[in-house]
Amino acid sequence: MKSSKKLALIAGIVLVAVIGFAFMPAPKKITVKGSDTMVILAQKWAEIYMKSNPDVAIQVTGGGSGTGISALINGSTDICNSSRPLKSSEMDKLKERYSSLGVEIPCAKDGITIFLNEGNAVSELSIKQLGAIFSGKIRNWKEVGGPDAEIRLYGRENSSGTYVFFQEKVVKGDYAANCQTLPGTAAVVNAVSKDKNGIGYGGAAYAQGVKHCKVKKDDKSRAFLATAETIAKGEYPITRYLYMYMRNRPTGDVKKYVDWILSSEGQKVVNEVGYFPVK
Amino acid sequence: MKKFAMFILMSGLVLPFMFLSVTLQAQMKVENNLDTVKQKVSTLNDKVAGVEERLATAEADLAKLTKIKLSGYIQAQWINYEASNVYPNNYFMIRRARIKFTYEPINGIVFVLQPDFQPGNITIKDVYVQANDPWLKTFSLFVGKFNRPDYEVEYSSSNREVPERSRVIRAIYPDERAIGAKLEIAPPTVPIKVQIAIFNGNDGIAINNPVYNYGSGKWDKNAVVGQNIDFDNFKDLMARVTYAFKFGKWGGLTIGTHGYYGQIKANSLDVLNSDYSYSKTLANVGKGVRKNWVGFEAQFYADVLGGLTLKGEYIFGVNSTPGYNGSASFVTQTSSINSTKDTLSLLTLTTKTINNAPAISRNFSGWYVYLIKNIGKRNQVAVRYDYYNPNTKLSADQIGTNKWDAKIPINIDPAQYTSFAGTNPVIATGIQNKTITTNKLVSGVDDIPYGTWTFSYSYYFTDNIKFMVAYEMPMNKKVGIVDAKGNGNVISSPFTVNNVTSTYDYSNQIKQNMLTLRMQVKF
Repeated sequence: MKSSKKLALIAGIVLVAVIGFAFMPAPKKITVKGSDTMVILAQKWAEIYMKSNPDVAIQVTGGGSGTGISALINGSTDICNSSRPLKSSEMDKLKERYSSLGVEIPCAKDGITIFLNEGNAVSELSIKQLGAIFSGKIRNWKEVGGPDAEIRLYGRENSSGTYVFFQEKVVKGDYAANCQTLPGTAAVVNAVSKDKNGIGYGGAAYAQGVKHCKVKKDDKSRAFLATAETIAKGEYPITRYLYMYMRNRPTGDVKKYVDWILSSEGQKVVNEVGYFPVK
Repeated sequence: MKKFAMFILMSGLVLPFMFLSVTLQAQMKVENNLDTVKQKVSTLNDKVAGVEERLATAEADLAKLTKIKLSGYIQAQWINYEASNVYPNNYFMIRRARIKFTYEPINGIVFVLQPDFQPGNITIKDVYVQANDPWLKTFSLFVGKFNRPDYEVEYSSSNREVPERSRVIRAIYPDERAIGAKLEIAPPTVPIKVQIAIFNGNDGIAINNPVYNYGSGKWDKNAVVGQNIDFDNFKDLMARVTYAFKFGKWGGLTIGTHGYYGQIKANSLDVLNSDYSYSKTLANVGKGVRKNWVGFEAQFYADVLGGLTLKGEYIFGVNSTPGYNGSASFVTQTSSINSTKDTLSLLTLTTKTINNAPAISRNFSGWYVYLIKNIGKRNQVAVRYDYYNPNTKLSADQIGTNKWDAKIPINIDPAQYTSFAGTNPVIATGIQNKTITTNKLVSGVDDIPYGTWTFSYSYYFTDNIKFMVAYEMPMNKKVGIVDAKGNGNVISSPFTVNNVTSTYDYSNQIKQNMLTLRMQVKF
């Protein structure tokens, strides 16, 4: 009986110590990892925030939404940027490891833009045509009103949220085997700008040196360019939210940073980078 | 002057030739160089083409390799039992050493193979094919050996917050896995999941005398059948439905239910009710006895200074244990000797006893509740209470008393003996055969309810390495009737530890607590 009391006392002391350590103030370093689509936006946020909060260090890296979510699950990042919602399997991992469903914060809105080479005669495509192009069913530009030339596809790696989102919303199946995967939307834009028969997709914020393709929901619909107005009105058919994910409700410096991102000042940066604010 | 003019003239004639010659030489040299460069460029082009080809081949090979995924975990632990029937009662052991091979040759078709490596033994835990529908991303078909659809069963040991599953789950889903087919319906846009499965149904169940072994000429007693083969023609159906609610940043709740509808071969003619009263006689031993139950589950997740989970499950129903047709045991003895005149009569009695056990359908119930709190990124504490009553129709004092004991004398041959008359030696034999079938089942250890407290603390050194310390306190319900000497009537089978034979008297609470120190590596 005496020994069990001792055991209980030791267990109590260990528990208090563990709780004490757990709630010790953490150093003011915030790590952000994930979506390549969001990396410029996240860097801009960090840069501006650190100027006005010099005691906080924010480290931003890309790698893709999947990579960011893995980092969130394995505890190597505080904030995960993702251009797609968490999958149920990923949420299960958070439940199992942290007894948490994770905290999802939509922080910007984006339109997935279709990039064409500036010399391409095609200027608009329907979702169905885009799906057929990226799944390899349509292989020649003449099938969609362009010249007689083979279509060359450029896309993202499968760890990318943009890859997953585009696959689910547009391709609705497997990508064509000849779709060249590139690390980041900037690389897709660069490849399309050099290939007159190229077509690619990615976040609107990266589109420089290429032509934006108008997109229509179906054959009978009107085609729209991805602009602030068409995305806000819901006219542009390929839009999505960009998210920040955390394991638990943010506290301390992370909370302050997230609150700032959602403030009018943070959302102004969203516009500047080429995305669209959520508020 | 003339000489000078001649020099100029000669120079004028020679120099252009010289210049021409030098130029021609230079041009030839450039052309030669150009040819060399062209050759080199051509060689380099060939080399680059070769490298590109090799790279393409390597990329293709690499792409094939990326379709194979390896994961797994190792759990090594030290256990200290406080039970007196275990010796040694403290030891190191490998609890799990598993590698899961996942191969996805084409999008949506997955092959899974998961062996478990134990010192001196390798068993296959999971082996199945999973086909996901590529259009709606909603349906998945599994065929092979995989986890039965239940929350705690499907919750991997590598993630579980305490060392072992609850007692009720271990009782009704032994070995967790079963062989069969399963359809999963999980629409990507609705947080509902439906699982419908059909299994052989006898996986992991120990069955007495399930098969006659023609090699040894005996029934294989206590054989565990159905690990990988079926025992009967009955197939068991399972279904589970869960729905997840989210409460924004505050957390969420998942609720669900599952049902099991099945039968197992009775393997005997007699079937008992849960209270050991007689239920019915079957037409033959191949008839089935019921395995039907339902369960309700809930998992609540909240964000209270970090993750907190409260989860539990309640299951009740009827679970049946097959009986068996026992093997005969012979007793031969000389019953009497009779000597009359010169005739000696020997009456030899041969008694053949066949031990049979009836099948029994027990009403059971069980439940468990976990409270789990994560503290920071690395610490997790958990408390679980689980309760399992394997026979809800027997009160504590009926356990050990309620029984079915039918002795059926059959096949008594008329006494036969043969007499021989003679002088010396005199030989005579007489044989009487008698067969008795004992058909009994007594309530006891298998009917004792247990409640178990489990306390555990886990420390995640990294995401791959976890340390766990856990203390389990199984508490049996005190059962049976105690006589004047203080002895109960529900006792365990005798066990011998260091030459000392003892039993457990379950009219007392038996100390069976257990301390586990575990290290886990997951990859």
